[in-house]
Amino acid sequence: MPPRIHPPSRTICSLREPQRSTPRQRQYATATAITPAASYGQMTASSPPIARHPPTQPPSYKPPEFRKSQLLRQYASLLKSTPLILLFQHNNLKANEWVGIRRELSAALQKVNAVRAAAGHTAEPLADAIKMQIIQTGIFAAALRVVEFYKPESQSSSSSIDPTDPATPSSATVPVFSSSGDGLTHTLSRAAHEAVADTRTAHALAPLLSGPLCLLTFPSVSPQHMKAALSILSPSPPKFPAPTRRANPGWHDAAIQSGLQKLLLLGARVEGKVFDVDGAKWVGSIDGGLEGLRAQLVAMLTSVGGGVTNTLESAGRSIYFTVEGRRTMLEDEQKEASGEMPKKP
Amino acid sequence: MITRFITEVSATFNPFLPRAKTARLFLSFLPPNARQTMKIDTKLLPKTSRESSFIQLKFKDGKQMKLDAEKLGIKGVVEEVDRHSRILSRQEELNGN
Repeated sequence: MPPRIHPPSRTICSLREPQRSTPRQRQYATATAITPAASYGQMTASSPPIARHPPTQPPSYKPPEFRKSQLLRQYASLLKSTPLILLFQHNNLKANEWVGIRRELSAALQKVNAVRAAAGHTAEPLADAIKMQIIQTGIFAAALRVVEFYKPESQSSSSSIDPTDPATPSSATVPVFSSSGDGLTHTLSRAAHEAVADTRTAHALAPLLSGPLCLLTFPSVSPQHMKAALSILSPSPPKFPAPTRRANPGWHDAAIQSGLQKLLLLGARVEGKVFDVDGAKWVGSIDGGLEGLRAQLVAMLTSVGGGVTNTLESAGRSIYFTVEGRRTMLEDEQKEASGEMPKKP
Repeated sequence: MITRFITEVSATFNPFLPRAKTARLFLSFLPPNARQTMKIDTKLLPKTSRESSFIQLKFKDGKQMKLDAEKLGIKGVVEEVDRHSRILSRQEELNGN
């Protein structure tokens, strides 16, 4: 009769003597049996309609925690939002010189604001938004390339799907949001990086972006403010006279003067176009700004129109005078005739 | 860079050429009080000009130097200036100042 207790199975043996067992992946057969496996299509293609990041913080190709990534974003938004930028080279200015120059600049700009307000311009005052800042040239050059050469096609239908909307079908593909960041079009995205990778020297402003550089940024093209700023920062007598000692004694301080000598105007970027020093001065010398130009154009057109109407009217008017003259003549004759007529009977 | 012995600097360059970087960097190497101790004259050429940039220097002993900034590069310019400045500083030391 065989023994009733069976020898232990191979599994129990291996559990008892783990050191002798061959290293092998454990398989949990029961677990797979309970949870149905996802289909192949589900595993590879579909993504649940859940935004993986807040809409204001899309995944970034460059590490977002680095200062230079944030500077890149900041400079790109600066370039997009300020159509008028003056570039200066600053040669070892001291802190008190910077303070003095900024103070004089803001005072002069406030004066322009007051003048414009007195003249009845309703546009919002710009003086507070005009800033002078020192930039990191390399990162600024990269931001300039992104702004100038990277034009992502308009985002079609990407914003139409809202992942949090219950009406959105769960099979809908939420547009962006792959972990690799494909399809993103912001400044720090991979697409932007690759689009501008080989345009290192292509922009006209690129050679300027080396050495110590600072920017004076205007939120809109306002030649009046620009003229005030130029006459403070780099006065050149005929068109941009320096403030007189009586009008503005603060400008003639030793600290400010020594600072201004070290500040060198290099060029300007006006609405995407690059100007050298003379070009910048030309832009600053437009009288009355954009409104002034428009007023000049309107005045020219109305004077031309007046001339045309005068010429066109003159023919009709001469005919009118002729006919009128003839009519009065006829009337006189008629009167004479009628005056004679009652005498006869 | 030893700038104690320079009395006059005049730089001419077109900032829109990449090679003008040398002249601009040279200007930025001068110390903050440079305008009080030496005469500095900067001339910017218009954007379209193709003239090469150069730096003219005068030293305390009257030596004049005209440096072709494009060919030398900033290191070369600094080297040339320092070479003469070291001679002057050695003379100063030997004279017992």
